[in-house]
Amino acid sequence: MTDTTQNPETDPLPRRRSRFRATLVRDRKAQAGLAVLILFVIGAVFAPLLSPFDPNAMTLDMMSGLSWTHPLGTDDLGRDLLSRILHGTRVSLFIGISTVGIALAIGIALGLVAGYFGGWLDLLIMRYIDLQWAFPNFIIAVYLVAVFGTGLLNVIVALSLAFIDDFARVARSMTLSLREEQYVDAARTLGFSKGRTLFIHILPNAVAPIIVQATVSVSYAILGEASLSFLGLGVDAYTPTWGLILADGRGFITQAWWLGVFPGLAIMLVVLAINFVGDWLRDALDVRQAVGD
Amino acid sequence: MSYILNRILSMLLTLFLISAITFAVTNILPGDVAMMIMGTQSNPEALAGLRESLGLNDPLLVQYGRWIGGMLTGDWGTSLVFKEPIAPLLLQKMTASGLIVLFSMSIALICAVPLGVWAAVHPNRWQDTASSSAALLGVSLPDFFWGIMMILLFARGLHWLPSSGFVDPGEDLLLAFRHALLPSLALGLGLMAHLTRMTRATMTGILNQEFIRVARAKGLGERTVVWRYGLANAVGPVMTVAGLQVGYLFGSIIVIESLFNYTGMGWLTYQALLNRDIPLIQASVFVIAAVVMLANLIVDLLYVLVDPRIRLS
Repeated sequence: MTDTTQNPETDPLPRRRSRFRATLVRDRKAQAGLAVLILFVIGAVFAPLLSPFDPNAMTLDMMSGLSWTHPLGTDDLGRDLLSRILHGTRVSLFIGISTVGIALAIGIALGLVAGYFGGWLDLLIMRYIDLQWAFPNFIIAVYLVAVFGTGLLNVIVALSLAFIDDFARVARSMTLSLREEQYVDAARTLGFSKGRTLFIHILPNAVAPIIVQATVSVSYAILGEASLSFLGLGVDAYTPTWGLILADGRGFITQAWWLGVFPGLAIMLVVLAINFVGDWLRDALDVRQAVGD
Repeated sequence: MSYILNRILSMLLTLFLISAITFAVTNILPGDVAMMIMGTQSNPEALAGLRESLGLNDPLLVQYGRWIGGMLTGDWGTSLVFKEPIAPLLLQKMTASGLIVLFSMSIALICAVPLGVWAAVHPNRWQDTASSSAALLGVSLPDFFWGIMMILLFARGLHWLPSSGFVDPGEDLLLAFRHALLPSLALGLGLMAHLTRMTRATMTGILNQEFIRVARAKGLGERTVVWRYGLANAVGPVMTVAGLQVGYLFGSIIVIESLFNYTGMGWLTYQALLNRDIPLIQASVFVIAAVVMLANLIVDLLYVLVDPRIRLS
């Protein structure tokens, strides 16, 4: 017995699946986006195998242009740009995904609890969300990294804390509307526990707008990491990330254009791809309708 | 009226909570104000004396009370790095940042609204693709990337505009504008992209509605239908999004002002954080939150002016 059989308005799973396929066949941008993302994930996973050089190995071959040995040129310290970007893909994608993962888990939990239980809990959580709303996400991240220090873990924690309110808001508004649905009433009447009602009956039906929010947030997290690195508040000076490569190269761009163009291109391709996939997911999951219900 | 009062009260409550949290978090920082003033190599006895005279040995709650009392009476303390009273310093930097925030918002709106409308009027045609692609390009790179490109093009390449620095509008208005233009463009580009997408989405929804069909059926010109009937209804939502982006802009100015060495609020906050200037960190974070909340309130109030159907409650 699933909630979908009780509520014919929600998409049954098989129909949803075929809808994914049907919308993807028509959507060229989403196909391109998926292809780019898959390529970058492969690049990230196999970075040590694919990189021609050690990303941190300095050579005397400084700021040399594109060649067979250095397909994307080298930077001011003679490090191979292709190897650095490939290794940077690992870190940047990891930060993007783990940040959103953490923000999603905490944000959804807060939103579900606030929307379902209401009362003083809702008041308390909403007060917190309003509080965070007053701070621009990036300022929260800068503030936290500056206070607690740089490093991979701190960057991820700072960025994910900054995104919590976005997810909590979406989850709360979905829960508020779903709480009144008949099948949720039915679950309550049958005596199911609150946890079961929340996670088995409400959450799966609130998932569509959350997925859309998550895709957009991954791109924001990647851009956020780049900006943090630019300020010197990134992972560290030795771990190449796209933001750090771009920040390191900014003084030399007039002499070596590749130092600005290639890391910029990597960020742009991935963010564009995520946006295209996000648009497709929004259409496939019919989010606007779901939110409007 | 009671709505506005309610909003202001809830804003004050939020600000109060923010002040408590920033105060608590900055006190977790290693080192304290006394050590910042005298340096880490200072004589322990002198340090203890200074701590006592600054009241750093009092319980945190007492220190917080003293700080909040100072904030309310206009005594915001003295910056450790700039050795200046904080309140006038913040006011001056806020004016500098206000200039580029307003500038970039205007640039973004002037470009985004026509682009978005243009795309919505020609759905799925080349106009739509062109405008959407331009918008996507704007959001898919970090602000500082566009900033660097603009420095290369307009400052180093064409020598049209200065690449860095800030000039007080009170001293030389034209020069101040010239210095503010590049940072504003770099800030405005990302914003423009957001607003173009938003305008397109809103307008597409509106142009499919009954009253538009009726207006066309009445034989009204396409221009009147789109701009007078369509856009008039899109102004509210677009304005709301623009208002929400004020927060986003205040996030971006940290990077952009550092890149352009434009000494505004973002630059100041960054310097305060880098140098662990505790009183300045507390005050600037507080002021940014207040400004962002105020901007959101103003947008909500403007919404009522633009759309008389909305009743605040």
